[in-house]
Amino acid sequence: MTSLIQTLSSVRHRPGRTFLTAIGTALGIATIVALLAVGAGAQRSAGEFFHLGASDIGLFQKDASDPTTSVLPTSMIKQLERVPGVASATAFVLLVEDVPHNPGVVVFGSTPRNFQVDRMVFSAGHMYTDRKEAVIGNGTAKQLHLGVGDTLTVKHRKLRIVGIYHIGVAYEDTGAFIPLHVAQSIAGRQGEATTIPVALKVGTRPSQAKKAIKRRFPGVTVLTDSDESIRLGANGDLVSKAALVIAVLALVIGGIGVMNTELMAVIERRSEFALLSAVGWSGRQIAWRVLVEGVVTTFIGAAIGLLLGVIGAHYLVKILGASEFVSPHITAWALGRALLIGVLIGVLGGLYPAWRAAHVSPARVLAQH
Amino acid sequence: MAGARVVAAHVSRRYGRALVLDDVSFEIAPGELVALSGRSGSGKTTLLQLLGSLDKPTSGTIRVDDIEVEHLAAPAQFRRDVVGFVFQLHYLLPSLSAQQNIELPLVAAHVGRAERTQRSRALLEEVGLADRARALPADLSGGERQRIAVARALAGRPRLILADEPTGALDSSAAANVWKLLTDVRDNHGATVIVASHDQALAEHTDRALHIVDGRLVGPADTDERARVIA
Repeated sequence: MTSLIQTLSSVRHRPGRTFLTAIGTALGIATIVALLAVGAGAQRSAGEFFHLGASDIGLFQKDASDPTTSVLPTSMIKQLERVPGVASATAFVLLVEDVPHNPGVVVFGSTPRNFQVDRMVFSAGHMYTDRKEAVIGNGTAKQLHLGVGDTLTVKHRKLRIVGIYHIGVAYEDTGAFIPLHVAQSIAGRQGEATTIPVALKVGTRPSQAKKAIKRRFPGVTVLTDSDESIRLGANGDLVSKAALVIAVLALVIGGIGVMNTELMAVIERRSEFALLSAVGWSGRQIAWRVLVEGVVTTFIGAAIGLLLGVIGAHYLVKILGASEFVSPHITAWALGRALLIGVLIGVLGGLYPAWRAAHVSPARVLAQH
Repeated sequence: MAGARVVAAHVSRRYGRALVLDDVSFEIAPGELVALSGRSGSGKTTLLQLLGSLDKPTSGTIRVDDIEVEHLAAPAQFRRDVVGFVFQLHYLLPSLSAQQNIELPLVAAHVGRAERTQRSRALLEEVGLADRARALPADLSGGERQRIAVARALAGRPRLILADEPTGALDSSAAANVWKLLTDVRDNHGATVIVASHDQALAEHTDRALHIVDGRLVGPADTDERARVIA
C-alpha cells in the first residue's frame, strides 16, 4: 500500500511524462473503444436489418455474397405458409443506393398489407394504395425534409409521398416503402424477392421451423437469431475484425511506446534506483515499483481513452456517413476489454524497463555522481 | 544496539587493468568511529562500497560480524538489515517528503505503517527536523537534506554506518551539524561508523583514521601525516 502511495507520488511528481505516456495510451484505447462500439452498433443494426423488425425468421438465398443480392421466387411464399409452425410470410425487395444523393436510404418493396407493415404507426397520411405512391419513415422525412404530398425519387421513378410512418427499426425508419411490383420493376426482378420475412405461430420454436423450412427449401439460408444475422452482416463483422486488429496493434505499438518512455525514465532515474538498492530494496521490489508506475500511468490513459472513445464513436459514424442506420453500441464488456488492454499495455511495456531498473548497479551509478 | 566488527583481509579490487584497491587489511571494533582518508581517487569510495556489499572484491575477504560480505546470496537484505549509507549527495527521492524518504529502508523491510511513522518521527526529532516532516527535498536546505539522509541511514537500526564524503557538499556550519550527528550515532546508537572524507575537521571527530594512498592502506598515522594526506 505504502509502495503504491509512493509510486503515485512519483507519477504525480512527473506530470509531463505521465501526461504524454497516458495520452499515447489514451489514443490507442479510444480507437479500440470507438471501433468496438461502431462494430457492435453495426452488428446490431445488421441483426435488425436481416430480421426486418417483427419477423421471427428471415429467408435469404443460400451463399449470397451480399444479402442485398439474394434472389428468392415470390411463388415460394404460398408453399412456405404451408410449412408446420409458419403463420405468415411476405416478400420484400430491397433497393440500396437508389435514392439520388441519399445512398443511406434503403427502399423496401412490399405489399401494402402484411404482418411487417401492419406495425407501422402513421404520424401523417396513410399506407400507399396506388403504384405511384410511397411512404417514408420519420427519419427519412426529417433527413430529406420531405412531407406528405412531396415526391420521392427512386432510381428515376417519381413517387408521391402519401404517409410518414414510425416502426421502431432504425433501417426502416430511415428508409421508405414502395409497392412490391414497382420495386421489382426497378430492380428488374419480376416475381422475385430479396428476402422473405416469416412470422411463426405462437408456441413454435424458431429452431424447429428452421429445420422444417430447410428440409422443404434446401436452397435458402434461414436466419433465426441475431448471431446468424451478424454472421451474414459482413460489415459489422469487418468492423469487429478491424477492432481486433487495432487492439493487437495498440498492444504492440502502445506497449513499445510505454516501454520506450519507461526506459527513458529508468535511465533518467538510475540514481534513484541505485539509492533504493543501496538502502536495501531488492531487485524484485524495485522492478515492482517501476511496473506499478507503468500500469498506473496507462490506467490513467485508458480511463481518458474510454471517455474519448465513447465520444469518438459518435463522431466516427458521422464522419463515415453511417449515423442514420448505425448508432454506436457501447457495452460494459467493450469498455472492460479496452481497460484490460490498457493495463496489459502497462504491464508488457513496463517489463523490460522494470528488469533494467532492478539491475542498476548502485556502486557504478552512485560513484559516478 | 551494538555496533558491528568489521574485518577486511587482503582485499583487492581491480577494474580491468586498473588496480583500485591493493591488498587492504584492517579491523574495526564495534562502536568505533573511523575516518577513511586519502586523496580523491585513492580508493576510499570503492572500499566503502565493498564493505557495504554494493560491490564485490576481486580477491580477499570482508567480514561484518559473522557475515562474509563477498559471499552474500541476498546483498540487498544485508544492506537493509546491517548497513546504513550516507553519500556526499543526499540522494533523497524528489517526489517523497522528508518523512517518506526516511521510511524507504523500512518499506523495503515491510515494517508496519505505525512503527514506520513512529521511527521516522523519532529520527526527524533526533536530527532536529521534526517540523519539516512533510517538506519535499526541494524545499530543504543542503544541510537539512543531508540530515534527512543521515536519518534515513539510521532508520533500519543498522550496526554499521558507511558515510562517503557526507560533508563534501556542505558549508562549514552545516558540516559541523552532520559531524555532530555522526558522533551521536556512535554515542547514542552504538553503531560502528566509517567515514570517508576530505574534511579538515576529520581528526576532531573520529577515534582513529585509516589512510589510503593509491589503493594501499598506509596508516595508522599520526596527526601530521593525516593532515598531509588530507591536504
